[in-house]
Amino acid sequence: MGLVESGKLPKPLTSLLNTARKYSLWAYQWGLACCAIEMGAAFASPRYDVMRLGVIPLPSSPRQADVVIISGTVTDKMVPAIKRLYEQMADPKYVISMGSCANCGGPYWDSYSVTKGVDQVIPVDVFVPGCPPRPEALLEGIVLLQQRIGREDMAERWRGDPLVAQ
Amino acid sequence: MADTTEVPAGEAGGTQLDEARQGVVDTLTDALGDAVLGSHVQPGHGSWLRVDRSAWTAAAEAAKYQLGCTFFEFLSAIDWAPSPWGRYEDAALEGAAPSLPEGPFETGYAGGDTRFQVVCRLANVRRHEEAHLNVVLKADVPDDDLRIASLVPLFSGASWHERECWEMFGITFEGHPGLRHIYLPSGFEGNPLRKDFPLLARLVKPWPGIVDVEPMPDEPPSGDGRTEEVAE
Repeated sequence: MGLVESGKLPKPLTSLLNTARKYSLWAYQWGLACCAIEMGAAFASPRYDVMRLGVIPLPSSPRQADVVIISGTVTDKMVPAIKRLYEQMADPKYVISMGSCANCGGPYWDSYSVTKGVDQVIPVDVFVPGCPPRPEALLEGIVLLQQRIGREDMAERWRGDPLVAQ
Repeated sequence: MADTTEVPAGEAGGTQLDEARQGVVDTLTDALGDAVLGSHVQPGHGSWLRVDRSAWTAAAEAAKYQLGCTFFEFLSAIDWAPSPWGRYEDAALEGAAPSLPEGPFETGYAGGDTRFQVVCRLANVRRHEEAHLNVVLKADVPDDDLRIASLVPLFSGASWHERECWEMFGITFEGHPGLRHIYLPSGFEGNPLRKDFPLLARLVKPWPGIVDVEPMPDEPPSGDGRTEEVAE
């Protein structure tokens, strides 16, 4: 690990580590509304079979998760819980925002209680559009995230300041 | 328990229920006297009774102990004022004046004199032949004195309903054991279910869905002002 932090990791080793990381994504499910049903279909059914992509949707706590999927309507009252969830996760950590509500407020864009996008609270890596998105759309979002992880320079990520929600 | 074998099914039972609904109003009127300000019986649906707010607890008590309405269904409030922001999601753009129209307002069953009304529905679930017997209690709450007695001593389940009503409408329930926010984050300012509560998102940004309003093919654009903005 010291090699990674020092930034002296040889390029082929970086891509090898990235490949290992992106096909072993422990995904924490943060279902807040109807999108959670589609997430359940994608994660828990043999029809869509998310495990063939190397996603393991079974962490018992955010501390063991690599990626969290925020699926559903984020309300202002839920924001402190989401911040705490994000800060509990160990770096490197990734966020997928699933559905119109989590992306921008969606149909509740003018509500007094709904946060207009979870990216106002925590940094988001992939937005999955839809209301709700089909399970295939979520799988595509996961593939996009894996592509992003594959291109990542781990040393850069490790040297940088820790990501903390504002 | 009454003998249930004599209650026939179908319309005859319905008529009997309607008589029972009138009986609900009569019983409560006898119990409360002048405090009853209005009543309404809707055949096949239920009974409505508007009472003075000083008799709010007495009305619920009479319904509970004299009519057997021991099941507390819900408690909430109604803001009868029409919205100053207009009816449609984009109406605020067209310069609708954000000032509340003066009364009198259109009100529902059993009438009303004020902008805010507290409503509460109690039901009798014990007797089979009166399974659908219920009463909706209403009380006017004047704007300058938004207070009414709490029903928590009678129905413990009223607690959360009154907390919600308090934060959404700003009506204080006297005698409630702990009026604090239930759905909204603590520190929230304003009462969102009041008609004059401004939805800031609409004021800051026009309704984004307006671009989706397109005329059908082979049809001239309708003249309601909503599709014309698209044409610009």
